[in-house]
Amino acid sequence: MLLGLWVHPAMLGWLAAAGVPLLIHLLNRRRHREIEWAAMQYLLAAIRKNSRRLKIEQWLLLAVRTLLVVAIVAAVAEPVLERSGLLTRIGQPTHKVLVMDASYSMAYKPADRSRFDRAKQLAEQIVAESSQGDGFTLVLLADPPQVIVGTPSFAPTEFLGEIAALKITHGGADLAATLAKIEQILQAARREYPRLGQQQVFFLSDLGRTTWAPDATGAAVAEFRERSQRLGDAAVMTVIDLGQSAAENMAVEQLRLADPIVTVGQETQLAAEVRNFGRQPKSRQMLELLIDGRRAADRVIDLPPGGRVTVGFPHRFDAPGDHAVELRLAADLLDVDNHRYLALPVKDQIRVLCVDGRPSGGEFKSATDYLAVALSPAAGQQLRARVRPEVVSERALLDADLTHFDCVFLCDVAQFTDREARVLRSYLNWGGGLVFFLGPQVMADNYNRQLAHPTAEDHRVLPAQLLRPVEEAHYGLNPLQYRHPLVTAFRDQEQAGLLTTPVHKYFKLQVPEKSRAQVAVALDGGDPFIVEEPLGRGRSILVATTADATWTAMPMWPSYVPIVQELLMLATRGQIPEHNVLVGQTLGGLLPSASGQSVDIRLPAGETKRATVTGDGAERYWSFPDTATSGIFQAQGAARPANQATSESFAVNVNTVESDLTQVDAEELSRDVWPGVRYYHRTNWQNSDAAVDAEIVVRSRLHLWLLWLALALVVTESFLTWFTGRQAR
Amino acid sequence: MDAYQKYLDPRTLARLHGLELRARSIVEGYVAGMHRSPYHGFSVEFAEHREYVPGDDLRYVDWKVFGKTDKIYLKQYEEETNLVCYLLLDTSESMRYKSEQAALSKLEYAQCVAAALAYLTLQQQDSVGLATFDQEVRTLLRPSGNPSHLKQLLHVMEESRADRKTSTGPIFHDLAERLKKRGIVVILSDLFDDVPAMLSGLKHFRHRRHEVVVFHVLDPAELDFPFQRTTLFKGLEQLPDVLSDPRALRKAYLAEFQAFIRQVQLGCRAQRADYVQLRTDQPLDLALSSYLSSRLTRATQ
Repeated sequence: MLLGLWVHPAMLGWLAAAGVPLLIHLLNRRRHREIEWAAMQYLLAAIRKNSRRLKIEQWLLLAVRTLLVVAIVAAVAEPVLERSGLLTRIGQPTHKVLVMDASYSMAYKPADRSRFDRAKQLAEQIVAESSQGDGFTLVLLADPPQVIVGTPSFAPTEFLGEIAALKITHGGADLAATLAKIEQILQAARREYPRLGQQQVFFLSDLGRTTWAPDATGAAVAEFRERSQRLGDAAVMTVIDLGQSAAENMAVEQLRLADPIVTVGQETQLAAEVRNFGRQPKSRQMLELLIDGRRAADRVIDLPPGGRVTVGFPHRFDAPGDHAVELRLAADLLDVDNHRYLALPVKDQIRVLCVDGRPSGGEFKSATDYLAVALSPAAGQQLRARVRPEVVSERALLDADLTHFDCVFLCDVAQFTDREARVLRSYLNWGGGLVFFLGPQVMADNYNRQLAHPTAEDHRVLPAQLLRPVEEAHYGLNPLQYRHPLVTAFRDQEQAGLLTTPVHKYFKLQVPEKSRAQVAVALDGGDPFIVEEPLGRGRSILVATTADATWTAMPMWPSYVPIVQELLMLATRGQIPEHNVLVGQTLGGLLPSASGQSVDIRLPAGETKRATVTGDGAERYWSFPDTATSGIFQAQGAARPANQATSESFAVNVNTVESDLTQVDAEELSRDVWPGVRYYHRTNWQNSDAAVDAEIVVRSRLHLWLLWLALALVVTESFLTWFTGRQAR
Repeated sequence: MDAYQKYLDPRTLARLHGLELRARSIVEGYVAGMHRSPYHGFSVEFAEHREYVPGDDLRYVDWKVFGKTDKIYLKQYEEETNLVCYLLLDTSESMRYKSEQAALSKLEYAQCVAAALAYLTLQQQDSVGLATFDQEVRTLLRPSGNPSHLKQLLHVMEESRADRKTSTGPIFHDLAERLKKRGIVVILSDLFDDVPAMLSGLKHFRHRRHEVVVFHVLDPAELDFPFQRTTLFKGLEQLPDVLSDPRALRKAYLAEFQAFIRQVQLGCRAQRADYVQLRTDQPLDLALSSYLSSRLTRATQ
């Protein structure tokens, strides 16, 4: 289509002005004056001799003037001689890199088609309007970027098939990484296909701020800009803006569980956080809670512009097993982020293994006696206790299948063999929680060597190293301003006695630098008392003193039961986050020894894909990186034996950073994102639906030539006027 | 400008009504203070009879012949005056042209010149005759030295209508045959005609030993072609209309026109006729002085 050859086709209306010189000429002829003339025979003779020259001059002048108007109008309309291949070097085949923004904000659907659909349509158009011999590559601007067609394809039909098959991701987009991929593609194409003399890169994006102006600083920004500049110099870069400046959007930002672990019959709080990213208030929005696909509760909320609302849903789960929780917000133009999922393993009971390093016949004499009571203080009174502690000796550590337990407490265990250390580490990797209490039997060297070797990060089990036992009386703990979640519950609860817990002997601990270990509670002298660190998929916690009354009076103190409960909760915390990830993150876990050789993943859309299994023997892991969409994923054959189910649920959610539909505008793009980078920015395509056909895709430098032509015509016109006018002097 | 000289300015003349007044103004302005002509023409010798034409002096009517035949004949004498001036006034349509720059049309200007010359001539006791012509001779007044002859001359001139084509060549031949007495033939015309034919007419006059003065009356617009806007030129004397951009044509037109003037000038020089170009925006003294110098030449021959 002819209109498709212009950037501003509306400007072509001014072409009518090209008729003006002709009109003026005709008007002049019409508006002549009349005189009688006596010396007519000489005038006639002059005309007879000069009529040919006069006519030529007149038409030449008229043509120059008309052409001048045409050239100026054409320059303003910015022609794109893409189809005829006149771009810069006539007839030279072009390598066209199509970069499609696949971040989920592209799913925004202002009309009957989403931004992504529009992008596809434009991409198809770019391909359709290309000349024979052009090569195409296709890159998804996503996080991580995906190269769909990496080496130039010369078969438009197949390439169009690739475009049609593109699916939007539910993730964000990493522009810097995508540019790096594009650069690689261009370099490889230049090397391998030297006949593709020109290179063009089309960015079909909504120009979301989160993608185009991410919070980056220093070297990353410098590298990004340098790379952009190199790209801009090497290829004609065109950014096609598919966004809408005043797009409204709401999203469910969070769906959290108050407790780290949920058991049957226990009332738990589900907290949802809903945000309005738009500039209009949204009133009476329906919020629904679905559990296993059934509606469990709903709420109507009002959202102020740019505001957040947190809504709590109390719920009691009646059956154990994996539950799929979904929070659904009334649909708006971008539906992807109106859903939030939570995969919730609901336990019949929390099974805790207590390894007693100092078993003893007497009551409350062994290392774990107080602990077992503190773990399940109501045992015996309730028909079914929430926590079921099982006490075993250290010798039984290798016999027990730890994956049956949610948490393992190790109390005053003297030493660990290599194999035990490996079992503990793989338990952590699997997602289990370990809590170490120390004591008189503990051999610090063995602990440090087997469990806390500083050079073997992958095999570390302890969050800190043991230095030496210290014997000095302390009558108080320092909660470190209650910053750590372990002790936040004690804030303003003086009677709980945390602050006055007496400790008279403990191990001095050394927290390694550059680790994720955190001191949750310290002694009043400043020495670390409780240190925790997420390791593998689980968490390891080290308490500097005993679990019984050998080194501390803590077991008799009112703070003991809550501290033990909090330790349990903290240690088991890894399980739910492990099942709830963001789009693009990898699902995975330790494959239970009893399970088969493969794990099949059932995607939210219903299809099934096979997960990768690595490792051998007792430690086999499965992983599944292809979490491009949000929803509940089922891993068949990866269930823990403890859950008595065949599959395990995982929830994949969108990162709602992308829900902010604010765009970078043209000025920001040229000033902040790509300063000094040569590129073309197209926004006008969305003026009307019809203009979609007129979507152009490349801005050439042809309009500059046209302006030069106009200038040349002005000079020619002046010369001609002077030349013909010379006859009059 | 002296008071009398302003009467030589066509702009002044244009404001005066009546040829006599104009002629008087011109001559008074030009010859103020000059002596009367020293040439007194006289003759008593009868030469022939000829038929009366309007304007002839009634004193020379041969009443005897009239009594016998009822026809008016004039008695003609040899050498009535020592100088005879024939004024040949072109009254063709092209003479009607008057541009914006000019105060008088070419015809009016020529009439003024003719009137002034007639007045001057009569003042000096010489004879003056008049012929008006376009494609044929419209009127022919025999020369007469009678001061009252002026009135008749002026009347004829004022009555003349410029609405026909010119055809100078045959006219000049015709007149050359008819103007018997040698004298000064003053031609007042724009000469927009076939130049070789016109020149052959002049040659005939010269053959008859007339002194010829060609007053080439041209409008300034014809000489300068100053038009700027697109103009429809409506042809006079049955020539077609032309719509054109005058700026583009100016150079070519001027070349044509100059070629025409040069042809006329060269032709006149070849015939030893005096050629005087008169622009209608110029004072009339040029015409008078040219005439007087011609007359002097004639007188000294």
